[in-house]
Amino acid sequence: MTIAYDQSIAGDAETGRASTIERHIAQEKARARRKRMTNRLLAAGFGMFVLFLWWLFSALGLIHRLIIPPPGEVLSAFFRVASASYFWPNVMVTLSEIAAGFALGLASGVVFGVSVAMFESVRATIYPYLVALQAPPKIVLAPIFVTWFGFDEASKIAMAVVMSFFPMFLNTLTGLASVEPNAVKLMRSLTASRWQTFRYLLLPNALPTMMAGVKLCWTLAVLGVVVGEFVGASAGIGYLIHAFNFQLDISGVFVLILLLSIFTLVVYQLIENLEKKIIFWSGM
Amino acid sequence: MALDLAQLPKTEAQDSRHRALIQGSHLTKIYATSTGPLVALDDVSFDIREGEFVSLVGPSGCGKSTLLSLLGGLEERSEGTLTLNGQDLDRPRPDIGFMLQTAVLFPWRSVMENIRLPGAILGLDRKAQAERCQELLELVGLAGFGDRYPNELSGGMRQRVALARLLAHDPDVLLMDEPFGALDEFTRETMNLELLRIWSATGKTVVFVTHNIGEAVFLSDRVFVMTPRPGRLAGVVEIDLPRPRQTEMMREPRYSELVFDIRHMLGVD
Repeated sequence: MTIAYDQSIAGDAETGRASTIERHIAQEKARARRKRMTNRLLAAGFGMFVLFLWWLFSALGLIHRLIIPPPGEVLSAFFRVASASYFWPNVMVTLSEIAAGFALGLASGVVFGVSVAMFESVRATIYPYLVALQAPPKIVLAPIFVTWFGFDEASKIAMAVVMSFFPMFLNTLTGLASVEPNAVKLMRSLTASRWQTFRYLLLPNALPTMMAGVKLCWTLAVLGVVVGEFVGASAGIGYLIHAFNFQLDISGVFVLILLLSIFTLVVYQLIENLEKKIIFWSGM
Repeated sequence: MALDLAQLPKTEAQDSRHRALIQGSHLTKIYATSTGPLVALDDVSFDIREGEFVSLVGPSGCGKSTLLSLLGGLEERSEGTLTLNGQDLDRPRPDIGFMLQTAVLFPWRSVMENIRLPGAILGLDRKAQAERCQELLELVGLAGFGDRYPNELSGGMRQRVALARLLAHDPDVLLMDEPFGALDEFTRETMNLELLRIWSATGKTVVFVTHNIGEAVFLSDRVFVMTPRPGRLAGVVEIDLPRPRQTEMMREPRYSELVFDIRHMLGVD
């Protein structure tokens, strides 16, 4: 500020002030940028450090390579696994199971959530059972599903659906219910129908909560498929992990875990980007 | 701005202004609560004339908001009759508009889309609505803000948008529940003056709820004074201050007299 007044004495007051403001904004931006940079460097540095420790401990023979294989071995295992003829068919099996399970879990969660929220009779009839069904850990269903639906995709998809259904259902329900009473009053005063109230108020109002549900739904769909494949499968990434583990190919297991994590994270990020576009108003 | 006002419907003819538009008699509203029945409104009778500006004034719990909800057809009355133009008033109607203390704008709709909400719900002609809402946006002093979103606006601006939305489908009766109560004193005065300007240009019937006696006197043709527990109509005060009202009137002895009359009826002296 002092600089601004000094300048204004020297020349045109308005221009001096404007340029001071501009400089101030530029400084603020630079500061924020530096801070972001520092934070990123910190995170990257820590990652490198852990990687280094991993390498060091392996090189010194402090960790047995059957427990945690050295980084170099994992890297070479990646090329070995990725170029194997069995790799892509198995990956495709898992990806299609995840996609189907996620889509079905999401869709059924939304349909049931909307029905229970919008229709009193549906709520009275099925809500207590849906809550009760949520109680047992869903993983116990995996062996039964293999019995019911077989060793192929169906049992894995079923597992992904039961895992991902509940968060989507509950978040849809909560989102639709958490509406400001005054907004409902406004809609009523405008003689809005139930459908109009849903379309203009309840649904958009529920979207932030529903998008949080979608993200949960996604990670649980992946989990459901892998669990299903562990329990009984003839193909898929979970099946491969199981097989590699039995062959004591730990670096191969590491490669598959890393690939699955990266895939899950990438899609998660895509959902988050979509979320920012859909609920654009929350960032304003 | 004068051009926009001219495009709005003109004030009703003088004689129609004295016709009773809304009639309530022996209106009672009882709520069942966990601690027993609560009489929110007890045997209230009144007339509201067409084109009239009526304020409901009284402390919290005097039933003024309950009465407004009944007028809006938003709640069921326990006893009594309530009619608009002789028709039973027991459900929301498109010719009655409701405005609340908070703007209740939808953050996912732009300012213009918020103003166009009533038209969308009532299925009004899109083209005519687009034109009308643009005029209303200018009327409330927000020309150029149509594409903004509610989160980008100040509290006063949001209430302006709510005011424009209230008028979007051209309701004959405006029910306003402390519409500027959450605003600061200066903004509220400005909004009151604008409301009077719009009211006198459109000839709408306004029922205005407030707990501010001065505001009620300044705005109204008549003030309904209400007392709490149970909510009763203690009296009706005719405000004989000349129109158009200006802020300077608050200096006049007649203004203070009326304010003190109402204070006396409320038993605050």
